[in-house]
Amino acid sequence: MGEPVLRLEELRKSYGETVALDGVSFQVEAGQMFGFVGPNGAGKTTLMRIVLGVLAADSGRVLWHGTPIDAEARRRIGYMPEERGLYPKMRVRDQLVYMARLHGANEADAGAAADRWMERLGVGERADEAVEALSLGNQQRVQLGVALVHEPDLLVLDEPFSGLDPDGVDALSGALLAEISERQVPVVFSSHQLELVERLCDSLAIIAGGRIAASGPLAEISGGKPLADVFRDATRGMSGNGNAAGPDADAADTEERRP
Amino acid sequence: MNQRDTIELVARREFTEGFRSRAWRAATAIQMLVVAGIAIVSIVTSGGSGIHTRHLAIAGPQATAIAAKARAEAKGYGIKLEVEDATSAAVAREKVADEDADAALGPRGLTTGKDPDASLVALLQTAARTVRGEAKLRAAGLSPAQARAALEPPPLPTVEITTGEGEGGTGLAYIGALLLYVALISFGYSIASSVVTEKSSRVVEVILSAIRPVQLLAGKLIGVGLLGLLQIAAVAAIGLVIAVPGGAISLPSSTPETVVLVLVYFVLGYVFYGGLFAAAASLVSRQEDTQSTTGPILIVLIASYLATNAALGNPSGGLATVGTFLPPMAPMVVPGRAAQGELPAGELIVSLLLMLVAIVVVIVVAARIYNRSVLRFGTPMKLREAVKLAVQRG
Repeated sequence: MGEPVLRLEELRKSYGETVALDGVSFQVEAGQMFGFVGPNGAGKTTLMRIVLGVLAADSGRVLWHGTPIDAEARRRIGYMPEERGLYPKMRVRDQLVYMARLHGANEADAGAAADRWMERLGVGERADEAVEALSLGNQQRVQLGVALVHEPDLLVLDEPFSGLDPDGVDALSGALLAEISERQVPVVFSSHQLELVERLCDSLAIIAGGRIAASGPLAEISGGKPLADVFRDATRGMSGNGNAAGPDADAADTEERRP
Repeated sequence: MNQRDTIELVARREFTEGFRSRAWRAATAIQMLVVAGIAIVSIVTSGGSGIHTRHLAIAGPQATAIAAKARAEAKGYGIKLEVEDATSAAVAREKVADEDADAALGPRGLTTGKDPDASLVALLQTAARTVRGEAKLRAAGLSPAQARAALEPPPLPTVEITTGEGEGGTGLAYIGALLLYVALISFGYSIASSVVTEKSSRVVEVILSAIRPVQLLAGKLIGVGLLGLLQIAAVAAIGLVIAVPGGAISLPSSTPETVVLVLVYFVLGYVFYGGLFAAAASLVSRQEDTQSTTGPILIVLIASYLATNAALGNPSGGLATVGTFLPPMAPMVVPGRAAQGELPAGELIVSLLLMLVAIVVVIVVAARIYNRSVLRFGTPMKLREAVKLAVQRG
């Protein structure tokens, strides 16, 4: 499908003795819905933080349309971190406008984009409410709005569907699919929900123990088998830090996520 | 978008969100009420304009002449003299006994209550001396004009050797140091709380995916600083609006240089301590842990304030000179010394240079600590770990 928008080459990152990424390479192309799956501690969040420049890699390269990514290019990425975060007392609309402006939009464009996304994500009625007054589901929608409001050229979403009910999952995935079909914006998201990845993604990468176990189009990787079986085979014995638990064990780390 | 726009965006958000917050409005309102209360109380207790009204009961022609003279001179003594003609000296003295009058003047002299007002006594003594001297000279054959000329020679020409603002400057220096100290603590904790709010809500990761930590830090310092200045201005305005017309205080006749110095050193001190507070706050993830890492900075600030108080007693002494060159103390010491006219220009220049160097160091170190710790969540970091973070390569 043409040249990659984002390409990772041999990324390595250690925290002291712990190796988080051990030579990770894969690429994401325009218009792709790219799933990123792996057990807890496999390095998914570390990798996303490196792409966004929030963390620095020990070695390796992140390429944006073929050239090393810089701060200007990173501003073109929409990011939803695993550790969700919004200003609790700031109003929904103000928050979206602020985030759009931090990414370089002028005041008028930022306002128009904020209104459009609040409408699309179904939080238009809540424009002047403080974020902390919203339900968790609505906060999640605003969080996605923050990632989308500056019309990014790439979306990087860490566990965007965790903690959502089926309606919320449909609303969010619908908004993402619309972005892909309207603007060819590639979406990279990590998830534990394999059947969701199977349903939404055209390509994916499986990471375990800081290494890519498999990556490419869904059909090639699965070869017609259920993704859960492929995943189990790919991650067997590859969890570097002794965490051999399957994806379901990851639910345990959600408790820390919402204080 | 360039660096300046980004910093301005962050600063604007800090300012408007802070301005909107109930906590800021409540704090400002309470401070304004307290200051207004103090101003009103001091107007009432000082009897208003600083001029005190005194009642004088008189009996006899000589007393009448002395009272007339005294009334003409009263203003110079800070007194407004109300004179009441009593029918006799005894009646006049009775008025003092009944506390209807502050003093009685009759043929036998001056009668006052217990603990008389020294200004009133001096005023009446001077007037009496003039009136009785004049009478004696006229008895000796001088014309009234000659007698008056003999008794009221033109005042001695006086030259005042001014050292800055002299005595008035000392009080101003102590008050200035105290206000600066309070402002530095309050602004420092505003910054700390703003840093920790972003960490505890985890919004900081989204922000840092768009802008650099040093931009966030700079915008925060500017926004919180301007909001703090607005608070000070509001509180000072209400104090002045009530107190100055009421006569409770008179504005010191500060030289413009002193005012400029106070402002310059306030900004320098704010950036110095604000940077430290921000770095310390970035080491913790929850508001309740803030004290554990900001404590050492608070201790430095308190120690600097106490040392400043000691130094201002002798503004040309060793402690004052050392304080001028120590960045944690200089913001409080230097304006105080200048207000007392005890600051050589050479020392001021060296002090400013050292202050600027210190600020650059603080900002660089603070930005490095902030950079590396703002995305670490969990238990507060130890000071040693933080220093390690700051010196790490990369």
